[in-house]
Amino acid sequence: MSIFKKSVHKPITTLMIFTAVIVMGIYSIIFIPIDLYPEMDPPFISVLTTYPGANSSDIESNVTRPLEDAFNTIDNLKEITSVSSDNLSVINLEFDWGADLNEASNDIRDAIDLIFNNLPDGVNRPTIFKFNMSMFPIVFYAITAEESYPGLEKILDEKIINPLNRIEGIGSVSLIGAPQRRIYIEADPLKLEAYNLTIEQLGQVIQAENMNLPTGNIKMGMMDYQLRVEGEMQESYEFNNLVVGHFQGKTIFLKDVAKVRDGLKDMTLDERINMRKGVRMFVMKQSGANTVKIAKEVRNSISRLSKDLPPDITINEIIDTSVFISDSIKNLSQTMMWALFFVVIVVLFFLGRWRATFIVMLTIPISLIVSFIYLYITGGSLNIISLASLSIALGMVVDDAIVVLENITRHIERGTSPREAAIYATNEVWLSVIITTLVVVAVFFPLTLVGGMTGVMFKQLGWIVTITVVTSTLAAITLTPMLSSKLLGLNNKKKKERRFSHDRIIDPVLKRMEGFYEKIIQLALLNKRKILILALLFFVGSLFLIKFLSVDFMPEPDESRMLAEIELTTGLRVEETTKVSRYLEQVVHDRFPEVEIMAISSGAEEEGGMFALFMRRGSNMINMMTRLKSIDERDRSVWEVADALRKELEQIPEVVEFNVSTSGGSFGENTVDIEIFGYDFNTTTLLAEELKIAVSAIPGAQDVQISRKDDRPELQLILDRNKLAENGLNTAMVATAMRNRVTGMTASYLREQGDEYDIVVRYDENFRSSVSDLESFTIINPMGSKIKLGEIGEIKEYWNPPNIERKRRERVVTVSSVPSGISLGDLANEINRVIANTEIPLGVMVNVGGAYEDMVDSFMDLGLLLLISIILVFLVMASQFESFVMPFVIMFSIPFSFTGVILALLITNTTLSLIAGLGAVLLIGIVVKNGIVLVDYINLMRDREMPLNQAIAYAGKMRLRPVLMTAMTTILAMLPLALSTGEGSEIWSPMGITLIGGLVFSTLVTLILVPVIYGIVSRKGERDKLRLIREKYTFLNGNEQEAG
Amino acid sequence: MKAVMIIFNQANSEKMEFIFDRLHIRGYTWWNQVHGRGTETGEPRKGTHTWPELNSAAMTVIPDEQVDALLDSLRKLDETNKEVGLRAFVWNIENTY
Repeated sequence: MSIFKKSVHKPITTLMIFTAVIVMGIYSIIFIPIDLYPEMDPPFISVLTTYPGANSSDIESNVTRPLEDAFNTIDNLKEITSVSSDNLSVINLEFDWGADLNEASNDIRDAIDLIFNNLPDGVNRPTIFKFNMSMFPIVFYAITAEESYPGLEKILDEKIINPLNRIEGIGSVSLIGAPQRRIYIEADPLKLEAYNLTIEQLGQVIQAENMNLPTGNIKMGMMDYQLRVEGEMQESYEFNNLVVGHFQGKTIFLKDVAKVRDGLKDMTLDERINMRKGVRMFVMKQSGANTVKIAKEVRNSISRLSKDLPPDITINEIIDTSVFISDSIKNLSQTMMWALFFVVIVVLFFLGRWRATFIVMLTIPISLIVSFIYLYITGGSLNIISLASLSIALGMVVDDAIVVLENITRHIERGTSPREAAIYATNEVWLSVIITTLVVVAVFFPLTLVGGMTGVMFKQLGWIVTITVVTSTLAAITLTPMLSSKLLGLNNKKKKERRFSHDRIIDPVLKRMEGFYEKIIQLALLNKRKILILALLFFVGSLFLIKFLSVDFMPEPDESRMLAEIELTTGLRVEETTKVSRYLEQVVHDRFPEVEIMAISSGAEEEGGMFALFMRRGSNMINMMTRLKSIDERDRSVWEVADALRKELEQIPEVVEFNVSTSGGSFGENTVDIEIFGYDFNTTTLLAEELKIAVSAIPGAQDVQISRKDDRPELQLILDRNKLAENGLNTAMVATAMRNRVTGMTASYLREQGDEYDIVVRYDENFRSSVSDLESFTIINPMGSKIKLGEIGEIKEYWNPPNIERKRRERVVTVSSVPSGISLGDLANEINRVIANTEIPLGVMVNVGGAYEDMVDSFMDLGLLLLISIILVFLVMASQFESFVMPFVIMFSIPFSFTGVILALLITNTTLSLIAGLGAVLLIGIVVKNGIVLVDYINLMRDREMPLNQAIAYAGKMRLRPVLMTAMTTILAMLPLALSTGEGSEIWSPMGITLIGGLVFSTLVTLILVPVIYGIVSRKGERDKLRLIREKYTFLNGNEQEAG
Repeated sequence: MKAVMIIFNQANSEKMEFIFDRLHIRGYTWWNQVHGRGTETGEPRKGTHTWPELNSAAMTVIPDEQVDALLDSLRKLDETNKEVGLRAFVWNIENTY
């Protein structure tokens, strides 16, 4: 018994099975996390190695190079890049997408083991660091305070951070720019010297005095007492009265030689939010946790917790990645609702019956919900890709149900009982329904096989559409006949024709359309050659339009945020940097009303922490993070605002380089990088400078930056070893002494309410701010005599490269630029032209990479995909029609769909991005479907021995409704996608535009050109197979002769 | 006794059973899914992609006086829609066992 017969005979079982599917789907929806993109583990592993005391070139030759050589043979390794800076070597290993990173990190560990003994002795063991998407902070808060500012860190730690850390799924909560309390004891070297004291002595005294010690226990009578000596200071002012020594019979107190300053740690980072002092707090989630859910919980807890804070502390959100995510998802869900609405309207328009429409519509939720089960089982998330996939599938899932239902209705109208009609009508069409589904699967399934980053994105799309469409077919041959048998009544002729009924108004229109179309086909069949030439001209003409198309990688969404990284002169002190940021602050405040919140930090924190991995650091760096008003509240787009900011930045003379980015960072930026490989610093730097100037001249090239930073000024103390030896000193002693005087020695800790604060002893700033100050530093040698630093060495200024970058085990400089107003592809072409016009010195290699490289790779993948899809579709069709010619007839509509794509992109001024390209690939499956429906019916008519032209015209007339119906459901389902302007719409609207353009055009082509080509191809007796076979039967020939 | 052979579109299967029951015809033989073609206007019924529809056949041997009633019912059924198709043929039974 066939599946549809069973389902009609057992309606309750059928209903229960589908109810079970729906229940499981709803259960899944509750547990699916929401995210922006499918989870992808970028295949990056970093190896961090420290070698204290070595400068960047030492690090490069002694650490980075041997390690790179060792790593080079690791499996699946795609590329090695490295940065060698002072004390630190960072090697980044990029693997192929989909490589097993656990295995890779084991290989790395083995390679390190093998080579570690050959590395210099002082090198610390390398740390392997696996990069993860979830390490990007999900929420940023700006916290400002007035009176409470000095104690902000402690307050936040107790009141906000600790409670937040208890939320499930939170990775960590950190602060940037938090003021830290520190007790400085700043000595006057002249007084110290006068009293025969040194910094070290002060430190020792403080260390010796500021302590509590248990000293044993004592038994007295019946008791056992603990003994303790308590010397710890309770308050910082108590240090003033410490006795630090004696001089000429007089007691010298600490206050005599030094000032005690209980305050904030020296500024290395200046953090201002909306022009007020403040700190930034960011929250990172655990891998795999639901961003939207966590962000919501964080939001709720903060609004609850902030009630306990002092009233001058305000907490503002700067960036909440979840807002964009949930807005996009909301937007996309709304789009889907509209799509659903349009599909209902179309189906109702053509079928004209509520019950039939209901039956067809029911397949939509059922098929879509199955994809949620898939997501739940595979641990996927609800994201832009999965929702866009559902949108695409939405218009297609009704097709099968429509075909089945239409045939059932036809049978019922002939007077068959609904039950029998459901069974026998399904029996008639189920095979062709499955074949058309196979065609769609043939296009979407290869998507799941694509590798690389594009593959990660396409995988979900491929699976979701495949699963939904297959489910819809299953529903169409089980649920649809079952429901038809129950819901569709025998045509009751008694029903009065109402005035505004479907039969009165829409049906005649459709009938007239069919008649008109039949006439057009008849006309076209008489002018086959003319039509073919016209069509070819049109196609070739459209190919000429391609050069007007601009190519882009990923469409960038307006995420209402803007980040700027501004670099001032190398080595600039943070106080000076702060002045520039104050000015910048004012500018942004005055001229950018779109900016809602602005956090600007100047300089860098001493302990960079994790976040430093993602940011460039230095006392000369300004980091700006802004949140703009939401899209509908401002006139300028984020790109226009960014361009305006760039113009402002160009006006500031102190700014050396800057980079304004508008992306959320999930895909990195759309940059074109010129990579200059070469060992010699001077040649490559010179070339980089030259190229930078040339690239900056290209209109549309923005944020042109050279990755190699200017040499950094350095003061070096060059010691005279003879003099050192004479005085009984060595380098370590001198270096420690210098450090103690400048940076200070951490002598002890002040304990207060369970927290410890560093007590740092050092020279007062006035006595350590010039070269002569440094030279007059006094050191006491082991013999007890005072030595001036100037006596044993001299201080010289040097320039040192701050970092050495390498790629593919060669030194590299990158000149990167960001397209603004032009497409990535255009910029890359311009840059290639610039490179061709530049003289490249000997031994230097230049390569264009960056996002452009990824783009080229991805488009190659896409091209391959296109090829595979076409082949698979051909295979399916050839076997269905048992013919090599028929697939060609149908596939004639594919090139014309691309004509439609080109026109649609040009008209809407959309760039050909990866997403638009994907749309073009998907078109193959959707477009061919219409052709199959039509050609299949023509074949049928021919088999029924209708003359060729009549068969074509008749089939066209008969199939016009289904073709229009399936095309219109798909087109209208895409329409909201293409038209949406809300958050995140930039990502998917190109897909909608491509699909609509291609589909509209190819539908027209299918309706006119496919019949014409069928006419041309079949004239030579394609359908006369039977006659050919029968000609070989000669056994009756004699009879005919007798008769004739 | 007469034998009545009825060839009909399988879409009418349930109605055929109903007719047999209604006329209290207990004995019959039924062939599911038979192929064929009408002499004058009937479309081929081949169960192929081209001609997807199928016929079924039923033969019953009934007393002479029941034949007219049966044919009358069959005609009524056929007249509800000629396209669906139904034909009945009657012949004599020489002997039975």
